Amino acid sequence: MKNYKHYRLIILFCLCFLAVANVNAQSDWQLTAKENESLSPFLFDDDMILEGKISYENSCTSCHGMPGQADYTPMAPSPGDPASDQFQLQSDGALFHKIKTGRGTMPKFEDVFADDETWNLVAFIRSFNENYKQPVPDLGGIEIPEYSMKLAFDENIDKLVVKVFAKELPQSDVSVSAFVKGSFGKYLIGKAQTDELGIAYVDVDPTLPGDAEGKLDIMVKVTKGYGLAKMNANMIMAKPTVRKSAIEGRHIWSNDKNAPIWLKVSFFITIFGVWLVLFFIVIGLRGINKANKEEE
Amino acid sequence: MNDTITKENLNDDQIDQDLLKNVNWGNKFKLWLAFLSVSLIICLYFYYQQLQHGLGVTGLHDYVSWGIYISNFVFFVATSLIGMLISSVLGLMNVHWVKPLARIAELVAVAFAIVAGLIIITDMGRPDRLLNVFMHGRVQSPIVWDIAVIVTYVAISVLLLYIPLLPDIALCRDKLKNVPKWQQKMYKILALGWSGKTRQFKIMNNYTRILLILIIPIALSIHTVTSWLFAMTLRSGWDSPIFGPYFVSGAFVAGCAAVIITMFFFQRNFKLQKYITTDHFDRMGKLLVLVALVYVYFNINEIIVPGYKANTADAKHVDEMLYGHESLMFWLVQLGGLVIPFLLILFKPMRKPLPLTLISIVVLAGAWFKRVLIVVPTQLSPYYPIQNVPEKWNHYSPTVPEIAITLASFILVLIIMTVLAKLFPVISIWEVKEEMNHNKELA
Repeated sequence: MKNYKHYRLIILFCLCFLAVANVNAQSDWQLTAKENESLSPFLFDDDMILEGKISYENSCTSCHGMPGQADYTPMAPSPGDPASDQFQLQSDGALFHKIKTGRGTMPKFEDVFADDETWNLVAFIRSFNENYKQPVPDLGGIEIPEYSMKLAFDENIDKLVVKVFAKELPQSDVSVSAFVKGSFGKYLIGKAQTDELGIAYVDVDPTLPGDAEGKLDIMVKVTKGYGLAKMNANMIMAKPTVRKSAIEGRHIWSNDKNAPIWLKVSFFITIFGVWLVLFFIVIGLRGINKANKEEE
Repeated sequence: MNDTITKENLNDDQIDQDLLKNVNWGNKFKLWLAFLSVSLIICLYFYYQQLQHGLGVTGLHDYVSWGIYISNFVFFVATSLIGMLISSVLGLMNVHWVKPLARIAELVAVAFAIVAGLIIITDMGRPDRLLNVFMHGRVQSPIVWDIAVIVTYVAISVLLLYIPLLPDIALCRDKLKNVPKWQQKMYKILALGWSGKTRQFKIMNNYTRILLILIIPIALSIHTVTSWLFAMTLRSGWDSPIFGPYFVSGAFVAGCAAVIITMFFFQRNFKLQKYITTDHFDRMGKLLVLVALVYVYFNINEIIVPGYKANTADAKHVDEMLYGHESLMFWLVQLGGLVIPFLLILFKPMRKPLPLTLISIVVLAGAWFKRVLIVVPTQLSPYYPIQNVPEKWNHYSPTVPEIAITLASFILVLIIMTVLAKLFPVISIWEVKEEMNHNKELA
């Protein structure tokens, strides 16, 4: 009986230790000032939010639930809802580094996401905060440039030509990426940098299927630092393609009306042929009664 | 000389008397029919349940959507195929001993084929939408082909039963004066004014011959198309180019067994020992060995070819069969229901009526379970693994209503065969007379 008491004491002690450790774990997620103050090198935009959402759904939902729904997993310490103040009152840098390093049951995502992908996640979490305004570092009086661009397609060399301007001046060293817009997302055509004339050449695969005239819906994105611009265009740059329905023509997998001729013919000739013979026999059976009268 | 015919000299009157004896409504028959009807009504209550609550009362689910209903359907189509082999193939080859058995084989064929069509309806959750299959069916679908050929096969089988029956119906009309009035009237209408004229025999023989030839491709296609319901689907275990002949050869095994059992019951109950002789059983036993050997050959192919190549899905399927979850049923069916029976029948004493009938019952039961083995396990090993579903969807076991409805199909077959056997002679009287006279001439 005495031993039994000891056990109880030990268990009680363990429980106390766990509770204290727990409180410690929650309060003790210290970051350096530098980490806390670090800022995103990108301006959060819809693309970043969308990509952040995909990463979030793959890696975060299982514990944190969907932001704003408070449907996180009940665990201790609580993972919490990323749309709540508990998260939103923290700085961008804090969120960024906490995702990166993890702690306790929160895994570290340093090796899972590249920095820009982690910023996508921060952008996604921030999209649930209407009052949020992205802090931008002191650029020392330099304005964030407003880019504009002109697009052309050079069919002799199969290249998309992008000329980038800011205040009507060509801009060099700007990153240009071009995408085809599909029904379910973007398909990257290529990336390039503008030269000193502000021109970037993106290789286009000439066998890409376009519409009947060879037109494609494209999106071109130019970025440099915090400067960003996008442009949508519909231009002739691909192979003219007449699209066919997958069940067009006569196929086994098509609807009844478009059944292969050979199948229809053989099926109906066989079935109606046999039934014709049966019909002929049933009619012919009257001959048995007739035979009576003929010989009488 | 045909030694399956009794050595006794029987005159025509004696033959008439012997073979018309079964056409009556005795008390034994009434009791039997009442028993069948009550059982059927009990089973139909379960079908009523299924109509009310849908297929949820069965063990079927998203993965195994074809359970014992479809296995049973395949079994019934298989069994009905024997009509073609016995009356048509052997008949056209002038195999004389088979003549007294032709009608029994046709009876089996008609009863099983009709009920096969009904079984399909029991597998439908909404039988009230049956007409949609005809209205909106695609000609590319093997299901549409199956419906078309089965309806055609039933029609031909009924005609093939009816037309050679004409002289015997006329005999019933002339000789049976103590049967109810409606029955006399029925014989009168069905006999079509038959009076045994040469020209009438000529018409009958012509039509029978056309039908006997026509039924061969149709019978082959009903079971080939039934096998295509599976083989045209890309699934391990079904995706096999030999499924057509594999099913047809299996059908003959089931059919032969069914005919032997039917022969035995007719011989004993109707005292037909002089017409269905021990020698008939002996020869049917040999026929069963032949078809069983062909079937064993196809079975070996069906297992060893995918088993040797062992691509992932097929390997899993073969493994399940040989050593896995299905192995007990598999080996029971293959050894107990096929190999051991045919080895036993190789010995002459085993081809005596009683032992042969007992063996046939085992073979027939094996054939039924064989169909379950063809239909069900494949659905439990799909290419895309079964996951994130309720645990019970990983298995299939039929429920009580399902088993009762399946039993109902057997009861229905028995009812059809009993009633037909009580309305008409089960052995072709005019053919037996012809055969006897032929033998006398030779002697």
